Amino acid sequence: MLAVQILILAILLLAVPSVVGLFFVNIGPRDGKLPFAWISGQILLWAGFQCICVPMILSQQKFSRLCLFFGIYIGIMVAAALLYYFLRGRKVAPLRLVSEKAIRKKSDLICWIVFGVLLVFQLVMAVCMAYEEGDDAYYVAMSTGTVGSDLMYDKIPYTGGYTGLDARHGLAPFPIWVAFLAKLSGMPAVTVAQIALPMVLIVMTYVLYYLIGKMLLKGHGSMLGLFMVFVELMVLFGGYSVYTAENFLLVRTAQGKSVIANLIFPFMFLLMYLLLEKVQKGEKLKGKLWVLVAFTMLSGCLCSTLGTLLTCLLLAVVGGCTAVCYRRWKLLIPMATCCLIPVGFAALYLLVG
Amino acid sequence: MVEIFQNYVGTGMIVALFLVALVYLFLCEKDKNKRILFVYTPVIVLLLFFNPLFYRIFYEILGSEIYFRIIWLLPLAVVVAYAVVHMCVRLQGKVRTGFALICAVVLILSGKLVYSSPLYSPAENTYHVPQKVVDICDAIEVEGREVMAAFPTEFLLYVRQYTQGVCMPYGRTVLMGYYDDFHGLIMSEEIQVEELAQMAKASKCHYVILPEKTVLIGDMEAFDYEVFDSMHGYVIYVDNSIYRGL
Repeated sequence: MLAVQILILAILLLAVPSVVGLFFVNIGPRDGKLPFAWISGQILLWAGFQCICVPMILSQQKFSRLCLFFGIYIGIMVAAALLYYFLRGRKVAPLRLVSEKAIRKKSDLICWIVFGVLLVFQLVMAVCMAYEEGDDAYYVAMSTGTVGSDLMYDKIPYTGGYTGLDARHGLAPFPIWVAFLAKLSGMPAVTVAQIALPMVLIVMTYVLYYLIGKMLLKGHGSMLGLFMVFVELMVLFGGYSVYTAENFLLVRTAQGKSVIANLIFPFMFLLMYLLLEKVQKGEKLKGKLWVLVAFTMLSGCLCSTLGTLLTCLLLAVVGGCTAVCYRRWKLLIPMATCCLIPVGFAALYLLVG
Repeated sequence: MVEIFQNYVGTGMIVALFLVALVYLFLCEKDKNKRILFVYTPVIVLLLFFNPLFYRIFYEILGSEIYFRIIWLLPLAVVVAYAVVHMCVRLQGKVRTGFALICAVVLILSGKLVYSSPLYSPAENTYHVPQKVVDICDAIEVEGREVMAAFPTEFLLYVRQYTQGVCMPYGRTVLMGYYDDFHGLIMSEEIQVEELAQMAKASKCHYVILPEKTVLIGDMEAFDYEVFDSMHGYVIYVDNSIYRGL
């Protein structure tokens, strides 16, 4: 039974996003196409979930109906991505995990071994250690309650009492996505949130840092292991306050707040770097890159209501700097367009909040 | 906002390292794209964070409790790690190794291991909730129905994470400073049974869970209560006058 549950979660969290991400492999970094497909695929799924879930919450639909609709969305995305990949097979670059030789010397190998050991340590701690986290009493209880009651944001998670629709929290329904994983896999929502998701999201975060490191260290690929070790040390020793993004990654891994801080914002940095490279080379910017930026911002809205503001703020700052540094004022138009969806959610937030 | 920043940075050592890395990249990084993303953007975000006008607008819309999340836009880990590697690229052989080791030690000493938090404890099961919560909830749950149960403080964070079949008359809010009379009574060392029964029945509680050491003044049976079970140092009382669906 447990093996089946793990298999279903592996399909939903590893295989499906990797396939869906085939839409975006061409805009990703030349090296590490598979990791980029995995993360961008997950972004596409989260964005779709947000679009499907929020209207259903506001119209007080049943959770089981949401599962059906989102399941159909996943099916369509997987089929379309496979079709896209095979029909345009010659144009799409082959999937590669790594092409540049990252290990040239013994010291490089040692760095990767240290990184691997520390990563395994974090994963073991995620399974074996429990953290007394107050906010889990809301978010995890919301997931558990949703699976059990088939209602979304209609009950007070702390007590189980019925309430009116909590539309304000319902605009960032990350706990419902956790509930969806629990429902489909059959694993209790609390186990999905406390064990299964940390295993995946911690790895996904480091894969994202790996991609960022590859971009930053072009020509010095052998230093990537050292870069990853230092990123890992920053995370591990990020307990200097309870507010840090690094602390959130290890302590509140399956909360939307942690995902926005550790996946959405760094992924936006990666996308902006890809965009800047194209601007620097004078290449035409692909529409797909902007679509992925917009989906990332939409995923930010799924994670946290504050995501509406912060994703726009980040894009505005980077966009402003880029426009000034490269004198490319026209870039501000697609960037502003990408902000429209979060702005729409922010308006909705003010309306129902 | 200065106070919010101080709360975020703790001792301030890691953020000091971040600022050193930022200055280093400003001076030594020639690539325009890296400067935009990892020098100019963090500087502008910091300027915005400390801008009183920006703070005021943010405060008006969302309050000050979540203002610290703006700091999440600073790519601390990437900037520090990249600056260290950037310096290492310029060095060779044992000097490089020694420098990397020194940086690692400085970083370790500047930060605090996340796992050193006293809030961590060995997981007792795959739910990451105390086993006593699992056992008591399993004992009182009724298949296909919801039951209402009043628990002591130490259960409040976990019951609803574990099961939606057990409801509570009060929840986590009592830990956030919202006083609840019923919770206050449950946490008393000595409890007048009549008062307890009155509050429990008013909240339609099927069960009341009390620590074994709690002294009850009065007879529970006089109010239709009986001991349902006892485990992990707690006694579970059931109210026979309320229908549980059994």
